[in-house]
Amino acid sequence: MNADMMTGNLAAAWGARLADVDYVPAFPITPQTEIVEALSVWCGNGSLNARFVTLDSEHSMMTAAGAAAATGARVFTATSSQGLLHAFEVLYTIAGWRVPLVLVNVSRALASPITLEPDHNDVLAARDSGFLQIHAETCQEVVDSILMAYRIAEDPRVCLPVMVNLDGFYLSFTREPVSLPDPKMVQAFLPPFRPTHLGFKASAPHALGTAVFGGATYSYFRHQIHLASMNALQVHEEASVEFERLCGRRYDVVEGYRLDDAEDVLIMTNAFASKGKGAVDAARAEGRRVGLLRLRMIRPWPADAIRQALQGRRAVAVLDQNLSPGQGGILFQEVAACLYHEALRPRALCSFIGGLGGKNISEGEFRAIFEQTAEAGINGQGIGPILLYTEAEHREMVQLQVLAGGLKS
Amino acid sequence: MRAVRFHGRGGQGAKTASRILGTAAFLEGFVAQDSPMYGPERRGAPVAAFTRIAQTPIRERGVIVHPDLVVIADASLMQDPAAHVPEGVDERTVVFVNSPLTAEQLQSQTSLPGRFTTLDLTGIALQQLGKRTAISALLGAVAGSLIGLGQESIREAIARELAELGLAAPMIERNQTVAAQCYETVPRVAIDVGLRRPTAPVPLRTPTYDPPTRGAASITAGPNSAIRSMAGWRTFRPVLRPDLCNGCWLCFANCPEGAITIKPDGKPAIYYPHCKGCLDCVEVCPTDALTVERETAATREA
Repeated sequence: MNADMMTGNLAAAWGARLADVDYVPAFPITPQTEIVEALSVWCGNGSLNARFVTLDSEHSMMTAAGAAAATGARVFTATSSQGLLHAFEVLYTIAGWRVPLVLVNVSRALASPITLEPDHNDVLAARDSGFLQIHAETCQEVVDSILMAYRIAEDPRVCLPVMVNLDGFYLSFTREPVSLPDPKMVQAFLPPFRPTHLGFKASAPHALGTAVFGGATYSYFRHQIHLASMNALQVHEEASVEFERLCGRRYDVVEGYRLDDAEDVLIMTNAFASKGKGAVDAARAEGRRVGLLRLRMIRPWPADAIRQALQGRRAVAVLDQNLSPGQGGILFQEVAACLYHEALRPRALCSFIGGLGGKNISEGEFRAIFEQTAEAGINGQGIGPILLYTEAEHREMVQLQVLAGGLKS
Repeated sequence: MRAVRFHGRGGQGAKTASRILGTAAFLEGFVAQDSPMYGPERRGAPVAAFTRIAQTPIRERGVIVHPDLVVIADASLMQDPAAHVPEGVDERTVVFVNSPLTAEQLQSQTSLPGRFTTLDLTGIALQQLGKRTAISALLGAVAGSLIGLGQESIREAIARELAELGLAAPMIERNQTVAAQCYETVPRVAIDVGLRRPTAPVPLRTPTYDPPTRGAASITAGPNSAIRSMAGWRTFRPVLRPDLCNGCWLCFANCPEGAITIKPDGKPAIYYPHCKGCLDCVEVCPTDALTVERETAATREA
C-alpha cells in the first residue's frame, strides 16, 4: 500500500492531481492555502499538466473556474469561509451553467467575531446554490471524495459542480496515514472529460446562463437543476460500487457506526464524527446502546437513507456545528423534515449546537449529550437547541470580558 | 494509544517535532496522527502540537486533553496562562522540559504535577549546531526516546521532515547526529499505561442574553497592546552596541512589533517589554551593531 503521512490539505491537492485537472484558478485563504500552494508547485515543476492562475479575489476565481469548465476543461479550485462567501453570487450562477467542476471548501467559522477555526456555517450557507456537497471525515476520505466528485459531477445525468468539504485544522492541518489511489486505477475510474453540452469553438459562439423572463422558462431550468441534483444519489451509489471495486474503500451517502442494536442515535458530519465514534465506543463500554450516523452527502439530501437509519429508534440527537440565528441547527431542521412522514419515527428528536468556531467537544460533553438524549427518549419529548458550552468555559469567558473591557468591570 | 503534547513558541519547532514523532511512529507501523494548533501565526507566540500513536484507528482529534507525555520547548511557557501547559497534567504524566536545570530543581520551582525529566536542548543546539532556534529535531528525538520509539525511525523521520522544510543535506545530517545524542542522554521516565478514570458528564451552561456592550465582541486598546509585555517570549535578546551603529534604521523598519524607536540622536532604542526576541533586527543589521544574548529567568524580567 502506497501510504504516507499527509494533511487533509495535501490530500485535497493530491485529489486534484490524480484527477489530472486542466485548470486551477487560485486565491489564498487560511486554512486552505496549503492546497493551492502544493498545486502551484506541481504545476510549476511539471508534475501536474495544468494551468495555474492566481486571481484578484474569490469572486473572480469562481468566475474563472466556471468559465474554464464551460470550455470543456476539468477544473479544480479551493477556498474557505469568507472566501466562499465572497464567491457566493458566482456559485449559483455557474451551477446554472451546469459545469461539473470541483470546489474544495476548508471549513472555517464566519465573521464576526473573526476566527480561523472551523464550523459549518460557511459550507452550509451554500446548500441552496445547486452545488452538490460531500463532507469528509478523514484525510483519506478527502482524496477519495474528490475523485468520486469528478465522476459524479461529470456524469450526464448530473452535470453540476461539487463542493467537497473538510474541516479547517482538524483535517486541513492534521496529518494521518493516507493511501493514494494508483493513477492507473484513477484513469479507469475517471475517464477523460468529454462533455457534450460544453466546449468552445470560435466559429460557433454560444451563450450560457442566458436571460429568461416570465417565470415559466425559469421554473423549467431551475427544476432541471433540482432533478440533476437528485440524480446524484443514484450516480453516487454507482460511483461507490466502482470505487470500492478498484480501491477497496467504500463510501455511502451516509455512514452508520454501531447502529445495529442502537436505541439512541447521534447524527454528526465531518471530522468531529471521529470523536463522536470514540464517544459511542466509550458509552457502549458502559452498556449504553448508542450509535452514530454520519451524513456524508448533504446535497442532494439523502432522505431515504436517513429515514432508514433512524426508523424505530428511541431518540435521535443532531449535533449541528453551525447556528442559524433565530432558528437553531440547520441539519436538525432537515432531519426533522424528512422524518415527518415516517411511521416509525423516533420518540424524541434532540438538537445540540456544538463545536462552533472549532470549540472542542469533550468526552464529558458527549456524555451529557447521550444522557440528555436517553432521557428525552424515555420522556417521549425532544429537546433543544442546546449549546455545548460549559460552566468552566463560561468562567474563562467572564475573565476575558473583564480584560477586554480594560479591567474596569 | 499514546498521546504526546508539545508546547513551544512560534518558530521553535514544536510543530515539526510533532511531525517527526508522527512520521517515526508511522514508519514503525503504527497509526499516527499529528496536528498543530495556533492562532494567527506569529513568531514567539505560544503554540501547541499533538501526536497520537495507536495500533487501531484513532477516534480523537485536535487538542490532547489527557497527555501521556508533555514536551515543553521553552520553560517560560510554564508560567504563561495562555499556553495552557498544566491542562490534564497529573501525577502520572511525564513532563519533559528543555532546561539547563535538573528535573529535581525544576520540580521544586513549580506546582505542576507529573514526572519531570530535562535536557538543555537550547544549549546543545547552540554548542553543536550553532543555531539559536533549531531544536525541532532534538525535541522530536527526545519525545521518541521517552515514548519508546526506535532510534532508526526517528533518524529517518528527521531526514524526511527537515528535507520537507528545505534544509540542506549536511545540516540534516548534523541534526540527526545531535538528535541521536539527545535520544541517548535524555533521562528516561517510564510512561504509565494505566487506564484513566472515565470522565463524568460536564455541566453545560446556556449563556443568557447580555446587552451588546458585553454581548458583542469588542476590546479596548489598553490591555491588548501597550501594557502587554512580551518579554517572557524571548529565548534570546538583541543588544545594541551604539558605537557600531551607523544609524541606518533598518532594525527600526524591520521590527514586526514596533519595539524599536529612534532617539533624537538618530540611533535606535529597543523597548524590551515589547521585544519578543525574533531577532529580525539582528539579521538585518549591516554593521553587526546588534548582538545576541541568551535570556535567563532573571534577565527576562529586567
